Amino acid sequence: MASGKKQIQQLARQFFQLSLVDGEPTADRVAGVLAYLEKHPPAHSLAVLKAYQRLIAAEVARRQAVVEHAGPLQAAALTAIAAAMTARYQRPIRGVARRNDALLAGLRVRVGDDVLESSVAGQLDQLARAV
Amino acid sequence: MSSVLEQIEQQIAKLSSKAVKKNTGNIRTVADGVAKIEGLSDVMYNEMVQFPGGAIGIALNLEEDEVGCVVLGDISKLKEGDEVQTTGRLLSVPVGKSLLGRTVDALGNPIDGKGPIASKEYYPVEKIAPGIIVRKSVSQPLLTGIMAIDSMIPIGRGQRELIIGDRGTGKTTIAIDTIINQAKINKVGLASGDPKFRPVYSIYVAVGQKNSNIVRTIGALESAGALEYTIIVAAPAADNPANQYLAPYSGAAMGEWFMENGMDALIVYDDLSKHAVAYRQISLILKRPSGREAYPGDVFYLHSRLLERSARLEGKGSLTALPIIETLAGDVSAYIPTNVISITDGQIFLETDLFNQGIRPAVSVGLSVSRVGSAAQIKATKQVGGKLKGELAQFRELAAFAQFGSDLDAKTKAQLDRGSRIVELFKQPQFNPLPIELQVAVLFAMQKGYFDPIDVKKIVAAATSMKEFFLTRKDALLSEVRTKAALDKDLEAKLQAACDEWKGSYSS
Repeated sequence: MASGKKQIQQLARQFFQLSLVDGEPTADRVAGVLAYLEKHPPAHSLAVLKAYQRLIAAEVARRQAVVEHAGPLQAAALTAIAAAMTARYQRPIRGVARRNDALLAGLRVRVGDDVLESSVAGQLDQLARAV
Repeated sequence: MSSVLEQIEQQIAKLSSKAVKKNTGNIRTVADGVAKIEGLSDVMYNEMVQFPGGAIGIALNLEEDEVGCVVLGDISKLKEGDEVQTTGRLLSVPVGKSLLGRTVDALGNPIDGKGPIASKEYYPVEKIAPGIIVRKSVSQPLLTGIMAIDSMIPIGRGQRELIIGDRGTGKTTIAIDTIINQAKINKVGLASGDPKFRPVYSIYVAVGQKNSNIVRTIGALESAGALEYTIIVAAPAADNPANQYLAPYSGAAMGEWFMENGMDALIVYDDLSKHAVAYRQISLILKRPSGREAYPGDVFYLHSRLLERSARLEGKGSLTALPIIETLAGDVSAYIPTNVISITDGQIFLETDLFNQGIRPAVSVGLSVSRVGSAAQIKATKQVGGKLKGELAQFRELAAFAQFGSDLDAKTKAQLDRGSRIVELFKQPQFNPLPIELQVAVLFAMQKGYFDPIDVKKIVAAATSMKEFFLTRKDALLSEVRTKAALDKDLEAKLQAACDEWKGSYSS
């Protein structure tokens, strides 16, 4: 069973590599891979597709800065954040704004697994843990 | 009121608007105390991770697409998709003297209901053992108060001496007696005001034991007045395997604080068989490849890295370890016992047969050994008990042969008589360690033949009478033996006179 899991991961990784153009997944390539998988479904196709989805999702998350905000966010600020993140991570990162009223105020920027927290909700949470 | 406002302002200043960076992941699965997490790309091996709801975990398996973490705490509230954060810290526990007299869990949290522990320092649970350069050879005795051990299998400060035996042979009792004896010595030494006196602090790590047993141990230490010099680290059988796996390392970290700060400490791991079982459970859940007896490949390293942390350091203190291993049907050649035997500097082997014959402590002289040898004995003990081990081994051999024939020459008969008297003399009740000066006096009397005319069955009573005699009437002489720590002509004459006096007063 363990070797099966390894094979699934390997196959998903191969499809993932085929989906990249200049290190970035493109819609055309992903559509191509999905069309191929539909025509030639591998063993454990559901598991392969799920693993493939995880890899693509992780790569997409690495290449975008999701800026969560409670108040208004100007386009210039979003562009500035995207530029700052591009400089920080040394790869092209585009900004995506997402409204989140639970933050109360401030921003939360998420790039892949990294979260840069400067929201009031985050600070209150930190305070609650410290007390 | 203004001070309250200042406090809040200070807190606000701490929580400045600077962005805080966190590395996060999401729970993929949670089962049997282990969480598989997607993400956490920056996590370090053995790093603490923060789960929602306050539970923490340790990253033990760093794989290509997921991280395996053992969860220390309540996992019932965790669910798939929950966000997990790295903390950037390795698992640490509070250390210091404020822990003395307290019972804590594997993470150093108090569980004795005596309130919070005021500890300012923290030590990492996992630490590389001291290297070759900083180590010093073991030469100072660590007295157990058990005559059979102190005279024949001496333990030194910084040594690792394994206590091994079947269930119910008195392994824990030897460890508890040793802790009680340290407390007794500490009290006498600290009261004397001797600036050179070095107290020994004890740490008792209970792994996978019944809570009732732990309570009994605490009770025994408390009633003997030893709890004030002792830290109890408890990871009982009801605790999750992650805590049972961590508890010995937490105890070692607490002991290391004493060692690093120029003090001496003793740590008892009770027991490492259950520790290995807890680690096997974690490893199997983490899907690590299993080997002999289903233990993972690194089970030797599990114990070697723990026991190597005990040492005597140049210019600092020492950490002495008494690991305990439970055998099945006296089989010392099983996997875990052989591993730990090879790591330690000797073993005290306890035999069920001896225990059932009423020889307690049931120390098997033939199989027990201390690789430090007489370097860890005071001169007085060497003088009176130097040949005891050989004599007893010879006795066991002769006793085995004597079973086949009744005609024995006088020399053999004398050796058998003497051996059986030594065996009786070494019988000692539990939680009653003997001060070394009293041991010297009794062994001196035995060497000089004061017990020879007494019937073997009455040796225990005679020895008790002699101990009482010395404690009540020869206190000054005992103090002299303790301070001089060696027997010169004058002291030998005084001991002989005291023995003669006892002989005159004793009527069997």
